[in-house]
Amino acid sequence: MELRDSFKTAIISLKTNKTRSFLTILGIVIGISSVITVMSLGEGAQNLILEQIMALGPTNVYIEPGSLDIQGLAESRESGDRDRGQIAEQVMEGMNVKTLTLKDLEAIEKDPLVEAIAPMVTTVSRVVYQNNNQRATILGTTPAYNQIADVKIVLGSDFTDFDVQSRAKVAVLGNKISKDLFQEDNPIGKTIRIKETNFKVIGVMEEQGGQSFLNFDKYIYVPVTTAQEILLGINYVQSLVAKVVSQDKIDEAMESIRLILRERHNIYNPEGDLSKDDFSVVSGKETAEMMATITNILTALLSSIAAIALVVGGIGIMNIMLVSVAERTKEIGLRKAVGARKKDILYQFLMEAIVLTVIGGIIGILLGMVSSYLLSFIMSRNLGIQWAYFISFRSIILGLSVAMGIGIIFGIYPARKAAELSPIEALRYE
Amino acid sequence: MLFEIENLYKIYGDDGVKTPALQGVSFKVSEGEFVSIMGPSGSGKSTLMHIMCFLDRPTRGVCKFEGKSMDDFDDDELAKIRNKKMGFVFQSYNLLPKTSVFDNVRLPLIYAGFSREEENKMVEEALKAVGIFERASHLPNQLSGGEQQKTAIARAIVNHPAVIFGDEPTGNLDSKAGQQIMAIFQKLNDEGNTIILVTHERYTAEMAKRIISLKDGKIVSDEPVKDRHYAKDGLIK
Repeated sequence: MELRDSFKTAIISLKTNKTRSFLTILGIVIGISSVITVMSLGEGAQNLILEQIMALGPTNVYIEPGSLDIQGLAESRESGDRDRGQIAEQVMEGMNVKTLTLKDLEAIEKDPLVEAIAPMVTTVSRVVYQNNNQRATILGTTPAYNQIADVKIVLGSDFTDFDVQSRAKVAVLGNKISKDLFQEDNPIGKTIRIKETNFKVIGVMEEQGGQSFLNFDKYIYVPVTTAQEILLGINYVQSLVAKVVSQDKIDEAMESIRLILRERHNIYNPEGDLSKDDFSVVSGKETAEMMATITNILTALLSSIAAIALVVGGIGIMNIMLVSVAERTKEIGLRKAVGARKKDILYQFLMEAIVLTVIGGIIGILLGMVSSYLLSFIMSRNLGIQWAYFISFRSIILGLSVAMGIGIIFGIYPARKAAELSPIEALRYE
Repeated sequence: MLFEIENLYKIYGDDGVKTPALQGVSFKVSEGEFVSIMGPSGSGKSTLMHIMCFLDRPTRGVCKFEGKSMDDFDDDELAKIRNKKMGFVFQSYNLLPKTSVFDNVRLPLIYAGFSREEENKMVEEALKAVGIFERASHLPNQLSGGEQQKTAIARAIVNHPAVIFGDEPTGNLDSKAGQQIMAIFQKLNDEGNTIILVTHERYTAEMAKRIISLKDGKIVSDEPVKDRHYAKDGLIK
């Protein structure tokens, strides 16, 4: 029996029971479209994060409190031997560690490999100007930050080192938050309230574009000391960002920073075992890799949940194929009587199952593309981020082959049952 | 010799109650014959036909077709023999629903490995032979019973078989349509085709050239038809 004939037979049979065929493939449609959507969102998120991190500057290194063994993480990603919960644990721990201070910053600043270094202390808060109330991220830092992030002031001026020393209550606004708060008014010299404290606006940043999910245009920059004491009541910094003199010196600079901090923190660690440190130094590239690992894990996790729908759908296919075989016992008998071999019958029913699942797969892929497009559109609009809509060729091929695989796996049993029918019994069947 | 049947037994039921369907049947059929196998229900005539057309295996005895026994082949080889050498017409037509007359007749050919052009030519020939070519694109449910059975006959002869089996082919038809069907069988036989017909109606059986009568799994008579009936299209209302 030629492929064309079995395909034709499959189509006729599926058309005979249109509603049944449609309901049968619904599980596959839902499963495939969920997997496609999750994968698309995962890839979109990853692209966004990578873009973001690379945009911050290829020569930047980040110094975070708490030990985070990125090297080990990258290795375990390849060998897959590490408990994935550990990664999340490490990330969470890092957020509560209070080991980095401005004194550390001063020490690192002296390193000739470091061109500039800035502290980062952030908090999210409501910001009030007259009756206008906006949510913003407050970043406490130093004037060096602008040098590292390479952002210009378009209106007014940046705060100075003196402002940092004197804990001045001054603020520089991101472009978007400035427009949100002041609309057409000139914000310079105006007073805004952040956590019951009045701040004087002294500058507005240039627009940085929405390519970042952190959206720096909605940030408000204040002196680090002011943020520490007045807004947060802490004496440590949440992280440090340093700009290395050149890209080929990054590894050297990172090692140098580690040595400085170990000495300052009294950590005896001659082997350079990163897990013994109470801080971690990571480059933008490493951070990107870590984020990629995390999004990959999340994508895999969500995809596997979506895949449950596929298994359920597959069982539905098997069920309906068994019904189809029972209904068409007489047809099978006739086909065998006029010369169909076992494998002809097997292929015929397998083909029917595959046609069902592949049609489901195609509809699922289209639906997944539409829903991930809608989701990325909604996120771009409502979260103010440029979430790229992304469907990879890989996920389409994956979706189709999974659909076909389900057809084969769940179709083989009913098809074998049909092929094994005795022609004489089948012809007698009423 | 087309069929050589010797001392054929078929007993149903493996354990417990054994039901004998055939008890020592022997006869021969040569090319070009038109044989009716006749008998009341339960006489074993259908069982005999199923063994002759290699769909069922005998419990004991030998059934040779073209000098070869069923035991010499596996299921797929038997399927191939049925496909190339035998044609089947069933009481209930057994046409595929939602499939055109043309594609129904094509059915045996898709398992035979002809080219699409050859297939089309053979199907056309078969449809013309039974006079239903103008209905080729119709679906079975758009046809009368007689037309459906004509389609089934076209399907049976499409592969130019060595023998055509008819299992009560007129059983579901009114007498007029039945006559038409029998006329086709007689014409096919006149053209040299061997036909084995299973029926319980004496009148239909007497349209063949030879009648083998069965009762309780045994042959009670095997003789040529003395006063043969000739069916003509539309002869009886």
